[in-house]
Amino acid sequence: MGRQVISGNAAQAHAARLARVQVVSAYPITPQTTIVETIADFVASGELPAQYVKVESEHSALQCVLSASALGARTYTATSSQGLLLMHEVLHWAAGMRAPIVMGVVNRAVAPPWSLGSDHADTMSQRDTGWIQFYAESNQEVLDTVLLAYRLAEDPAVRLPAMVAEDAFYLSHTFEPVEIPSAGEVDRFLPPRDARAVLVPGRGLRLGSFTGPVEYVQFRRQVADAMERVPAVLRNVEREFEEITHRHHGGPLSTYRTDDADTVLVTMGTATTTARGVVDQLRAEGHRVGLAKLRVFRPFPAEELRALADSVGRMGVLDRSFTFGEHGAAATEVRGALYGAPRRPSVSSYLGGLGGRDITPGLVRKVYRSLESGGSELPTWVDLLPEEAPAHG
Amino acid sequence: MLEVRFHGRGGQGAVLASELLAHAAFLDGKWPQSFPFFGVERRGAPVTAYVRIDDRPIALRTSITVPDVVVVLETGLLRTVPVTDGLREGGLLLVNSALPPELIEVPIPVRTATVDATGIARARGLGSPTMPIVNTAMLGALARATGVVSLDAVRGSIVHVPAKPRENREAAADGFAAVRSGEGRHLPVARRAERAPPLPEGPIAAVPSSTLVTSSWRTLRPVIRLEKCTRCNFCWKYCPDDAIELDPSGFPVIREAHCKGCGICAAECPPKTIEMVLDAGARGGWGVR
Repeated sequence: MGRQVISGNAAQAHAARLARVQVVSAYPITPQTTIVETIADFVASGELPAQYVKVESEHSALQCVLSASALGARTYTATSSQGLLLMHEVLHWAAGMRAPIVMGVVNRAVAPPWSLGSDHADTMSQRDTGWIQFYAESNQEVLDTVLLAYRLAEDPAVRLPAMVAEDAFYLSHTFEPVEIPSAGEVDRFLPPRDARAVLVPGRGLRLGSFTGPVEYVQFRRQVADAMERVPAVLRNVEREFEEITHRHHGGPLSTYRTDDADTVLVTMGTATTTARGVVDQLRAEGHRVGLAKLRVFRPFPAEELRALADSVGRMGVLDRSFTFGEHGAAATEVRGALYGAPRRPSVSSYLGGLGGRDITPGLVRKVYRSLESGGSELPTWVDLLPEEAPAHG
Repeated sequence: MLEVRFHGRGGQGAVLASELLAHAAFLDGKWPQSFPFFGVERRGAPVTAYVRIDDRPIALRTSITVPDVVVVLETGLLRTVPVTDGLREGGLLLVNSALPPELIEVPIPVRTATVDATGIARARGLGSPTMPIVNTAMLGALARATGVVSLDAVRGSIVHVPAKPRENREAAADGFAAVRSGEGRHLPVARRAERAPPLPEGPIAAVPSSTLVTSSWRTLRPVIRLEKCTRCNFCWKYCPDDAIELDPSGFPVIREAHCKGCGICAAECPPKTIEMVLDAGARGGWGVR
């Protein structure tokens, strides 16, 4: 199909079509809805011969694709914000049942107060469920990552579900040029699912049934081991993808101009694009600054961060969600990853862009200025306005 | 510190027995701790309960793996649950059985006591004839056989029993009077090292649940009058655990060894062709003998 101007949501839908998913189930929620609407069009027109199951809630949507996945089908669903929170119970089930579901998540702030704007609180609160988590920066990365996610999730060494997150509006409703691969290219990269060890109709097998503590520990450890195998499998999968499409998105921690940097900004999702522009400006002004994008958050790229920390004096992590009573999740985890590292740069914690607040170049410069002047141990809310004094005396 | 482990089935009162023993030890001036462990299943499923008794606060919150005393509320468990696992040398196994201790088969040489708690409970009208509640008779026997608590304390603890306090106090006294001590019949079995079983990748069971022998949990069993069966397959669909299969002509067949007797098939059958009948003397059946 070549290069077309499409939205991030359309990129999700085209990827699901190209992956030849067999079962789709979803429940509408803004700003995700156009993903599953577009897929419904593909199914209605016959472009995608899939079963499309309408359900009454996100909990049921994920349960539906989980059941189909347990029978060996390649499945897709998508959601956002409150919908993802409603899926929480089934997220654990999907990982524990080793179902390689791929789900598109449009990152939207969590209520209250109601908000349709982008932030990462929805996916960050699911980071302990056993799902692989990708955060994309562009519509091209969205499309490519959904395809990568299927190969990774279905790899016999992994067999875990994966979510591909995109920022609300900044990607979901943003139209930009995207190279849409041909069916032939994708078929070469992504063969039909290897459906070993799944339920068979007519055979009374049990999946996820009751166990004692001994087996329980063993099965949980299997999930942990599978998660640990992700980085190696992802490396191979990304290499193969590059051979076919000539595109590579930089591994789990994608770095930019970090080779001789003394200061590194750490970002996720679309804030990365803006920060990259600012890094170029700061470089032109003579600052030794680089950028690292947390492209994969689960499994957390601790090894890559330790390697980066070897040559860096300070890091500033810009979180788009907040863990009440702690810092932003990314800052906390970056610090955790570096605690045992031979060289430990200072790690400062910044919060910004909640509820759809823009992360502007000015804001990124503010973070850099703070880092230059010694950083911030406690989380700094970079876009918080000072409150006016109350009018009454 | 003294550690007691109870083995019973859901519905027999094993959990309450452990709580009563804790209350009784407290009445004797000791520091008790009791707690149960059970799974998701229903009446009839194996249940374990633990009691620790000491002179001072107990600094341990784990299950009991090396008990001084093991109390078994139903003899069928001797075959299906490794009740004597970890039993301390010189410890005691107390079994609800009308047989003398010498006829109780045990996998390790162990002091064994028996009491016909089922007979006592029936005589005192505790529980129902199909499901006698044997816990208080067992506690009376435990007081006599071990001396860890006094009979007075056991009788005093019975204020915590929800029904028939007088009959339960009498059952405790009956158990105290009737318990017999001796040595079990030693039938050695090889001990296994603690190893995790080999598991498939992912929590998928290699065998269907229909292969699990869980018929000993039931008191009632379904009987299908096939002459009235319309082959609607509702029983097959509604059976929560694969205990019904269909024969080649589409008639339902109960998997007798697996069916736990929940009665859902009988409740759902549109022409009411399934009847739940008393499972008297079923394999490993409990309660009714």
